[in-house]
Amino acid sequence: MLASAELLAGLGLLFIGLKLLSGHLQQAMGRRVRILLKGATRSRIVGFVSGAITGAVVQSSNAVTLISANLVRGGALTTRDAIPVVAGANVGTSALVFVASVDLKVAVFYLIALVGLCYQFKLDRTPARREWLGVLLGLALLFLGLSLIKLAPQDVSPQTIAALLGDISLPVGFMIGLAVAVITQSASTATILCLASIGTGTIDLIDSFFIVLGANLGSGIATLVSAGGLKGTGRQLCFVHIFVKVTGCLAVYLVWLALPLAGIDPAAALLDFGQDQAPFAISLLFLALQLTGGLAVTLFCRESETLARRLSPPTREDHVSQPHFITDQAMEDPASALELVAQETNRLVRHLPELLPDLDQRAGDDGKVRAVHWRGARAICEATGQFLVELIDRHLTRADLDLALLLQEEQRLLHSLQDTLKDFGDLIDGYGEPPVLAFNLCESLRTMMLELAEAQTGTEADFDLVIALTADKSTALDRIRRTLATGDLGSGEEARNLLTAVSLFERSMWLAHRLAMTLRLRANEANREAPPHHLNRDKADADRS
Amino acid sequence: MQIDREQAGSDVVLKVTGRLDTPNAKPFETSLLDAVSGSEGAITVDLAGVDYVSSSGLRALLVAGKAMRTAKRDLTLRSLQPQIREVFDISGFSTLFEIK
Repeated sequence: MLASAELLAGLGLLFIGLKLLSGHLQQAMGRRVRILLKGATRSRIVGFVSGAITGAVVQSSNAVTLISANLVRGGALTTRDAIPVVAGANVGTSALVFVASVDLKVAVFYLIALVGLCYQFKLDRTPARREWLGVLLGLALLFLGLSLIKLAPQDVSPQTIAALLGDISLPVGFMIGLAVAVITQSASTATILCLASIGTGTIDLIDSFFIVLGANLGSGIATLVSAGGLKGTGRQLCFVHIFVKVTGCLAVYLVWLALPLAGIDPAAALLDFGQDQAPFAISLLFLALQLTGGLAVTLFCRESETLARRLSPPTREDHVSQPHFITDQAMEDPASALELVAQETNRLVRHLPELLPDLDQRAGDDGKVRAVHWRGARAICEATGQFLVELIDRHLTRADLDLALLLQEEQRLLHSLQDTLKDFGDLIDGYGEPPVLAFNLCESLRTMMLELAEAQTGTEADFDLVIALTADKSTALDRIRRTLATGDLGSGEEARNLLTAVSLFERSMWLAHRLAMTLRLRANEANREAPPHHLNRDKADADRS
Repeated sequence: MQIDREQAGSDVVLKVTGRLDTPNAKPFETSLLDAVSGSEGAITVDLAGVDYVSSSGLRALLVAGKAMRTAKRDLTLRSLQPQIREVFDISGFSTLFEIK
């Protein structure tokens, strides 16, 4: 009874520790991780090393695969650039497995003491320190959990263990490893559990070999499961992750099968390789799986890309998710980079009407097409936001900083407006034939978005018109709300939906109003900076003379 | 859609009947702009016979409204049906045009 409680508590602490570790590390290193991964465009070796470092830091090849997939969708990396990153990330995750193979019980106690004292003496006041303390706490809980798991079998008689595990066949061991990795979304977690069990003699080296092999493949499958929403280019890297896992498993298993042909006992050879330390031997096996798979896929990068592209061809969403103007190279010249952000923003504004239904010309799959446009616009908005944050870090001049902050505000408003229009469109889609009020709200909103989009190429007067049209509408909308409350326009569910539509409409108008004001401000600044045409001509003449 | 034009001195009255939707928006806009360029006085658009206005119809009116504003002349809308009046109120057009 105590043994099973210890085992369960150990598992719980292990999972909490892994979650804390991964979550806080991503918060502490988030932007640096993205910058590190973007370095992968330089060469395959740089990509592999960047991936390995990121994998070691984040402790999840799944997470690195998904971050890289988003960078690919955002246009910061190509699939081919990202293949060595994914391959390297798998190697990086071996670090935790090696650390877990060492008995760190005493160190864990000191670690917990350190974290506790830091909290007690309020040394966690800055966000960065808070994240790092979270990392240390996660690490401590992880190892504490491992200690408990290792202790649990010691309270159970060897006969009971033999009865429970004695009949595990090799395919069953493989399937157990696979299932644990799919459930925990991590090959290293399953391997660490294996290390804990082998350390106490609960399972032998041969069982462990097949469990780790299964866990390795399971982690690849887990990526596909967790990337359920990703399609097209984004999903290609999930297949690359599976290639790494399958190639590693096949290569190592072939060696395992080939060794007896040369008169060598593979289990003895593995133990010998691990200097007679079974946990260390399993850690080396884990590393060998990642290295063989990772290096093979990196070497055959082009072939891997072709196969991944065939399994998950690019979609329309991939096309609409690509920024048209911003590139990492532009970051070197902040003034030009800001101009590119401005153009990217203008383009997103021009596409705002596509997020709303056109009730005049409705087609069956309108909602799906709009959802693709929304996801694409959102991805570009996020990529542009990240680009701006990195640009602001580059010690801009006062004028450039002012413009960058204005663009950041535009991005924030645009992001909210995109989401609100999407919600409004979804609500309208819910009606077969929209009631008059819903129709009027939708067509008014569409008119505003079309005007805002057109103002991009117009004059300041066009922005002024949009600002006037989107000004406070509380009087008209409150009147509608009161009518809805009386039940004159429907009751129950219908009235609630109409009230929601009115609120979303009002929010969209407010956001469009604010956005038009910032866009006009930027247009004013641009006009002020650009000298009149004749002055340009005079300057050109002077330069020529 | 049908548009009848009446000239009253330098002023013009356009009586519109039917739907102001995407297919009809362009001819409606052309009629409005013709009235703007072909007269010197105020323009009144009678919408009593209109029971449907989409975003395309609203934008056609906006184009004419901008042209009239530039020419410092008045564009008035009259006899709007209640559901049409509502779309003008919530889109802010009521503050832009004189509505009778």
